[in-house]
Amino acid sequence: MTTSLLTDRVLPPGESFAHPALSYRDEPDFLRTVGAFVRDGLEAGRPVLVLVPRPRLEALRDRFGGDDGVVWTDMAEAGRNPGRVLSLLAGFTARHAGRPVRIVMEPIWPGRHRAETGEAARLEALVNVAFADRPASFLCAYQEPALPREVVALVRRAHPSLLDADAGRVRESAEYTDPLAVCAQCATPLEEPAEPVPALAYADGDLAAVRAFVSERLAGTALAPSRRTDLVLAVTEAATNSLRHGGGRGALRLWTTRGEGAGRVHVETRDAGRLDDPLAGCFRPDPAAASGGRGLWMINELCDLVRIRSSADGLVLRMSMDLR
Amino acid sequence: MTGGTDTRSGPAPAPNHICAWYSDDRTWASLVSGFLAPALERGERLYYFADATDPDAVLSALADQGMDVRRARAQGRLDVFTADDTYLASGPFDPDAMVGQWHDATAQALADGCTGLRAIGEMSWCARDVPGADRLLEYELRIHGEVFAKLPRLSALCLYDRRLIPDADTAVLTGAHRAVPVAPSGEAPPARPPLRALPHPHAPGLVLEGALDHDGRGTTRGAVAALSRMAADGDVELDLSELDFVDVVGAGMLSEAARALPAGRSLRISGAPATLHRLLGLFPELRAGLKVV
Repeated sequence: MTTSLLTDRVLPPGESFAHPALSYRDEPDFLRTVGAFVRDGLEAGRPVLVLVPRPRLEALRDRFGGDDGVVWTDMAEAGRNPGRVLSLLAGFTARHAGRPVRIVMEPIWPGRHRAETGEAARLEALVNVAFADRPASFLCAYQEPALPREVVALVRRAHPSLLDADAGRVRESAEYTDPLAVCAQCATPLEEPAEPVPALAYADGDLAAVRAFVSERLAGTALAPSRRTDLVLAVTEAATNSLRHGGGRGALRLWTTRGEGAGRVHVETRDAGRLDDPLAGCFRPDPAAASGGRGLWMINELCDLVRIRSSADGLVLRMSMDLR
Repeated sequence: MTGGTDTRSGPAPAPNHICAWYSDDRTWASLVSGFLAPALERGERLYYFADATDPDAVLSALADQGMDVRRARAQGRLDVFTADDTYLASGPFDPDAMVGQWHDATAQALADGCTGLRAIGEMSWCARDVPGADRLLEYELRIHGEVFAKLPRLSALCLYDRRLIPDADTAVLTGAHRAVPVAPSGEAPPARPPLRALPHPHAPGLVLEGALDHDGRGTTRGAVAALSRMAADGDVELDLSELDFVDVVGAGMLSEAARALPAGRSLRISGAPATLHRLLGLFPELRAGLKVV
C-alpha cells in the first residue's frame, strides 16, 4: 500500500499509528518535506510536536511564523538522554488525549556520539510498542547520506515504513524488525574506562557511603553543583534498586572520559538484578504510588545518558553526565 | 490537666523525658535508683513499668540502694507494674491512649498530694512480637510535645536494655529523646543510625538528621506517623537543616504525612536539602500540603 504524504490521505481518516522514517539530503530537503507534514497536520487541526535539533528546529519554526499550534522542542536538549524522550512524547499525547497528533523527531543527527545513537535507535524501536494503539502519526527525519552505514541500517529496522519524499509516497519497510530484537541489537557492549578504576561494594546500610564515594570523586571535576545533586540522586536510586531488586548488594564505579565536548562523568552500578521490561522507566510515574518504577524514570530525567545492560550475569546501569 | 505550657518563653525547663541504654544489671540498678531516689525525697510519686525485670527484683534493687521501699509503697508513693499488665494489656500498643494515661496519672498524683509523678519504663517489649510495637518511635516522638512539654510535674526515664533490643533500634529510639541520654560510664553508644528523628525543640514537629533513604525507611515510617498524628493547633514543623539527602520515596512519605494532616494545616519544612528541592521540581504534585521555606 502506498499513499501520498502531502495530503491527509497519507493516513487513514482520523489517523491511527504511523511511524515512517524520512531520509533527507540537506536542510532545504528537510524543510520541504517536514514542512509539508507539519502544515498538513495544522490544516487538519492536529496538535503538532516538532522535536528536532536546534538548527533545523529554528529554520522550520521560521517557516511557520510562530504558529502556536506547534510545540517546538530542541531534541539535542530535551532528548539529550534518549531514555527520556518516550516520557516526553507520552506527555504530549496525554495532553491531547483522544485526539490524533503529529510528531516530527530527529533523534540521530550527523555527529551524534556513538554511545547515544544506540539508545536513540532503541527509542525508535520502542515507539512502535508504546504508541501502537494511539492515534499518533510520527515522521522521523534522518540525514542518511551523512550517517554511518550501521546507524542507517539500525534506523531502517526500527521503522515500519519509509517515506520517499521524491515520489511522495510511504512504503512499508522490508527491513522492519521486531522492536525487541532491535532493542537487543542496540544493547552493544559498554566501553570500559581506559585505566582500571576502583569499585565500591555496597549492601544494606551503605547508601550514605555510596553518596560519599560519588561526592569525593566528583570534587575534582567540572560538574556543576546542581548536576552533582542530580547525579547523587540518580546513583542513590540505582543503588537502592540493587538493594531492593538486585540481590541486596552491588558494586559502583565512577570515572571520567574526554572527547565528547568537555568530557563526561560516568557512574556505573552492577548487581544481580534483571530487567525484562524494555519500557521500564520510560514513562512518568505517580510519585505517591507504592509500587516501584520511579527510580529508573528519575535516573533518565536526571542524567545525560543512561544505558542499561541486562544479562544472565546481572544488571549494569551506566549513568553519564556531560561536563559542559 | 491538659493546660499548655509555653516552652518558648522563660528559662528552659529541666528535661523531663530522658532515656538510657545499658548492658548489665549493675548499671541498670544505679540508673534506676539514681533517677528515683531524689524524687522520693522531693515528695513525688514513683512508678516503674517493668518488662524483662521481675517486679520484686526492682523493689529489692531499690531497697539495696537504701530506699525505704515498704514505707513508700504503704504511702502510695511507689508502685511497680508490668507493661503486660498495664499499657499492653488491653490490645495493641496505642500512642493516643498512652498520651491520655500520662495526663490522667499525673493529675491523680497531684490530687493525691504528691509533688509530681516520676516514672521509669523498660522498653524491651519493643523487640518482641508485641502488637503495635512498630508505633513506639511515633510515640517517643509525640510525647515530647503532647505530654512532657505540657506536664512539667511529670518526668520519665525510658530504659533500653541492649541485651534484649537490637542496637540499631536502640540507636533510633534513644535518638528520639531530646534530652542527652544518661550515658553509663565506659559503655560505647550504639552506632549512629542512617536517619535520626527527634522532637522539634520549640513547636509541634520534628527534626530529622542523616538521610531519608532506603536505609532509614523504618525510621521514616515512624517519623511520618508522628508528623501526621501529632496534636498541633497550626502547622507542623519539620526542620531538615541537619538532613543531607532525601530520595523520592522519602519525599513521597513526607508528602503523604502532609496530606494526612487535618484540613487547613500544613507541614512546614525548613532547611530542605538540595535533593528535596530537585525532587519537588521533578514531581510538583508532592508539594500538596507542604510549605517549603
